[in-house]
Amino acid sequence: MPRAFTMRAAIRSGLIAGVVMIYLVAVGIASAFAKREVVTGYLTLGHLMLVIPPLAIGYAMAGRPLPAYGRVTQALVAGLAAGTLFAAAFLAAVALSPGIRLVLNRVSTALLDFVGFRNLGLEPATGALLNLGLAGALALIGGLVRIAPVAVRRAIVGGGSALLVMSMVEPFLRPRLLQLSLSSVAQFIYTSHGLATLSAALILALGAVLAVSWPKVRSTARSRLAAADPGTRSTLRWAAILVAIAFLYTLPTLSGSFLTQVLVLVGFYVLLGLGLNIVVGYAGLLDLGYVAFYAVGAYFTALITSPTSALGWGLNFWIALPIVVLLSAMVGLFIGAPVLRLRGDYLAIVTLGFGEIARVLLGSDALKPWLGGPNGILSVPFMLGNGTYFLPIVGKVTGPAATYFPLLGFCILAAFIAYRLKYSRTGRAWNAMREDEDVAQATGISTVNYKLLAFAMGASVGCVGGAIYATHLQGVVPGGFLLLVSITVLAVVVLGGMGSIAGVIVGAFALIGTPELLREFAEYKLLVYGAVLVAVMLLRPEGLIPDASRRAELEEARELEEGELKVEYDEISGDA
Amino acid sequence: MIGSLLEDPDPVRRPSNLSLVDVILWALRVAIVVGVAVSTFVTLSNTRLSGDQWRDLFIFGISQGSVYALIALGYTLVYGVLLMINFAHGDVFMFGGMTAFFAADWLNDNGLLNTTPYIAVPVILLVGAISSMIVALLLERIAYRPLRRAPRLVPLITAIGASLFISNSVRGLYGDGVKAYPRVDFFQGTFNIFGIPILKSHATVIVSALVLMSALYWFVERTRTGRAMRAVSEDKDTAALMGIDVDRIISITFAIGGMLAGAAGVLYAIVYNQVIWSMGFLPGIKAFTAAVLGGIGNIIGAMLGGLILGVLESLAPTLLLAGYHVPSPNQLRDVIAFSVLVLVLIFRPYGLFGRPEGK
Amino acid sequence: MTTTDPGLIMDPAPDDGRPLLVATNVTKNFEGLVANREIDFEIPRHSIVAIIGPNGAGKTTFFNQLSGVYHPTSGTIEFEGIDISAMAPHVVAGLGVARTYQNIRLFQNMTVLNNVMVGRHVRMRGQWYQAIAGLGGIRQEEDATRRRAFQLLELVGIPRRSAAELSKNLPYGDQRRLEIARALASDPKLLLLDEPTAGMNPGETRQMTDFIARLRRELRLTILLIEHDMKVVMGVSERITVLDYGEKIAEGTPAEIRANPRVIEAYLGKQATA
Repeated sequence: MPRAFTMRAAIRSGLIAGVVMIYLVAVGIASAFAKREVVTGYLTLGHLMLVIPPLAIGYAMAGRPLPAYGRVTQALVAGLAAGTLFAAAFLAAVALSPGIRLVLNRVSTALLDFVGFRNLGLEPATGALLNLGLAGALALIGGLVRIAPVAVRRAIVGGGSALLVMSMVEPFLRPRLLQLSLSSVAQFIYTSHGLATLSAALILALGAVLAVSWPKVRSTARSRLAAADPGTRSTLRWAAILVAIAFLYTLPTLSGSFLTQVLVLVGFYVLLGLGLNIVVGYAGLLDLGYVAFYAVGAYFTALITSPTSALGWGLNFWIALPIVVLLSAMVGLFIGAPVLRLRGDYLAIVTLGFGEIARVLLGSDALKPWLGGPNGILSVPFMLGNGTYFLPIVGKVTGPAATYFPLLGFCILAAFIAYRLKYSRTGRAWNAMREDEDVAQATGISTVNYKLLAFAMGASVGCVGGAIYATHLQGVVPGGFLLLVSITVLAVVVLGGMGSIAGVIVGAFALIGTPELLREFAEYKLLVYGAVLVAVMLLRPEGLIPDASRRAELEEARELEEGELKVEYDEISGDA
Repeated sequence: MIGSLLEDPDPVRRPSNLSLVDVILWALRVAIVVGVAVSTFVTLSNTRLSGDQWRDLFIFGISQGSVYALIALGYTLVYGVLLMINFAHGDVFMFGGMTAFFAADWLNDNGLLNTTPYIAVPVILLVGAISSMIVALLLERIAYRPLRRAPRLVPLITAIGASLFISNSVRGLYGDGVKAYPRVDFFQGTFNIFGIPILKSHATVIVSALVLMSALYWFVERTRTGRAMRAVSEDKDTAALMGIDVDRIISITFAIGGMLAGAAGVLYAIVYNQVIWSMGFLPGIKAFTAAVLGGIGNIIGAMLGGLILGVLESLAPTLLLAGYHVPSPNQLRDVIAFSVLVLVLIFRPYGLFGRPEGK
Repeated sequence: MTTTDPGLIMDPAPDDGRPLLVATNVTKNFEGLVANREIDFEIPRHSIVAIIGPNGAGKTTFFNQLSGVYHPTSGTIEFEGIDISAMAPHVVAGLGVARTYQNIRLFQNMTVLNNVMVGRHVRMRGQWYQAIAGLGGIRQEEDATRRRAFQLLELVGIPRRSAAELSKNLPYGDQRRLEIARALASDPKLLLLDEPTAGMNPGETRQMTDFIARLRRELRLTILLIEHDMKVVMGVSERITVLDYGEKIAEGTPAEIRANPRVIEAYLGKQATA
């Protein structure tokens, strides 16, 4: 490849990285994250944000099929291009300052000082040059990491990630350690503003070691598993699930109040995600109005169980629940029936329309006598013993944990139902319908019935989530049922992998847990959701945890075959 | 070619075919027709809205509808060439309105806005149009082009993500708050046309929209590029075989749609006086409704659909609900728009001016 | 396996001379374009019948009416004496009609095994609540279906180790055969094959022709083919019907059709017979 050509590509990639850096600063991400220190006195998260684009572009550039010298040069060139663009933008911003703040409202003098390393006493011009140099250097480092031997690469990535994670978890790990009377540990790891230098070094080393040894560990485990017989494998699988459930059971006690609240929020989205997974992942129906089922569940529960609601029946939650589920399923059928003949995009938009109509109606003055208008319905009693009760091992349960346990139970139930459906005739019918509706019909699948079934199931799961939500907040307000909820649940399912149960769980933790734990992130939550949706569709549409059904199918087939072989053998050795 | 379709384009519905679903749908149709008729009758006999008030509502509907029409054109053009719903188009509209604000503000600061409105206002429109065009082009290049051959759901999900991304980026870039457009003396007061008083701002919006729509129509019908666009929306692959650079045409389509949306953003600001980062969603959905109402892929349909929807949205809350003394019927204005959307897609997805199974 | 497992016979009914499918005066009209005009057509039980004709003659439209995807604008179609003219496609499939497609339409992101198992949908009875609760003999039904699926895969010649592959990753020939396996999974009485040898080289075509003959012989299936490859048509069918411009222009044995001047004219134009 002629050198000029590849140079141009490197420059272009570098410019893109530069744009990303400018974007991060202009939108305010860099400054928002600058408040969090990663390593005390040396590094903030904001700096890290700006470090990532040149590092990444250097890493990417060095992946090209060129000799080592060429790859590193590519990386350097890309980094310098990024740095030049960024420096130029910086100088332009300084020149236009303070007026520029009227348009790009984050670009304050404080921000410009931050970018220009004013804290080191540098003038803007020097600061710009420093940025340029840093970008080039970082890209170079990224490139060198790329061409380094695999083990070194793993060590660096592992160590770096460990460092990052430990610094991110500081806001709640430290208080937790103190609560558990492990203050000396806390003081060793953290200073008042981030990781202490010594512990940072240790964490780096530990992360590196783990990362390097991981591939070996994994392949050993895999081969051991493959060699084992189906019986052992099945037992192991059940054991793993039981261990996980036991861990989740004790989690609130380990985590403390704040983290339990986060877990509850994640749990709601896991439940909703499992429901939407059936509609979108299994049956392929893009439902953008999923929040409507959530709202139906919540509002019906509130109406039936609250003594001060328009109905005022004040029934017990557990008696109300089956009624609410039934009503929800019917609503699901009513929404599903008219949209059956619609395909893809149109189905999505119509369901979005339904969801929005529901939202407006819920808060409207017209329905106020029934639904309480913008104030909603209050005095919804908690589902178990007034919010305080006792459980084995865990003891007294109160506060957010009181919602956690029932929610966990329902999530496990929903996951179980989803799992069973997936590997059944119904699941296969849904998949076929998703893949090719016309051929599925010709194969004997009544698409009308199966679409309705998917809607009804999705509605039921969503409504249970809503019911729990109503008792959790002990009331319902229309503001909790925005389109945004539907889109967030969709993002959870998409990121995790459409159709994958484990994926929903991972997606929920990633998308819902992270903003709660990283408060700085929370302000840009939606922006990240949008970026995640686009990125997943462009780069990895099957999601983080693609459908595991292939592996499962093969295993079941092997079990069957081995069982049959055994039968044949018996026959042969018997009386042929 | 017909045989390759596996859905009967000309289904024969015999009585033995009817299912519960069909019954429900017919019941729904009847309920709606009866409901609208009865409500209208009740309102007209119970409430005393003067002819003038109805007329003013109508005119407001036309001007609002013009804005919808301009945005709807973007949806319909893109659907025509790519068969996808550009969910992020509403945010393209928003970007134009927001960016043009700074131009308006600057022109106001140095007085040019009010001394030379005939130059200043088109400049603002231009700024809006160009900034929206840039976003639309970036959108196509980054998010949609790589997914040309993907199954239909994938670009839709991408578009949703893009919409979130754009609106929240603007929130970060330009800020959280509402931006109030400066007062333009030219827009104060009313024109008197054939004895009917029309707000100058409304008149400007309607006239500008008409000019832009005519320009678009001329472009699509009479220029080579326009012809190429029509060819690509008929059959992309054949058009490519004919020597048309499909990628370029698609980019041009997005650009034009973007420009119209950006201009619409400025016109919207003229009517409502303020813009905010979140203003893309509702007008976007409503414009999409308009496009579908007129028959998606049909340019005249999008224009007419926009106007019809604007008028419907203006008149219907009062017409249908005031008679029942429903408190604040205007809260339910959005419900009317969404209901039109849902009903059109369920009962007549090819719109008023489209044909069944046609593109 | 050279001897057929009796469990594989799809249509054990005797050849009583009654036709399996009767189409009477079938016309399909698409808003002015008459794709099929007044076609009378019969398929005797356990026979192999072919429909041929130039492109655009209306063959696939006719096929689609037989499988319930389209409904005739006028005329009737009877399958085993039952009028299927207004039936939904999934009901027709339940009666025993299965088909393959001109451009292969597998369920791409499903595994090979699942493609075949879902083909058996109409013969299974497991409902969603039974699946969740694990009751109603669900386990046994799934096992039986899986066994059947493997049997069919072996019959069409797809190796067992491919069972967990995604069907879109199979080589072309295997994909075609998988489509047939999927069709066979529903224990059909009538198998509609839409250009089964499209895209195949002469060797593969010969294999497919033998296979079709074998399907009729060993599984006692009734087969209706659309084909363009005359060697296949002449080699394996007992009766041939020729369509042109939506009308039936000839019908008879391969020998009769070969010599029919109208047929030759339809394919090659008037000059050929002049």
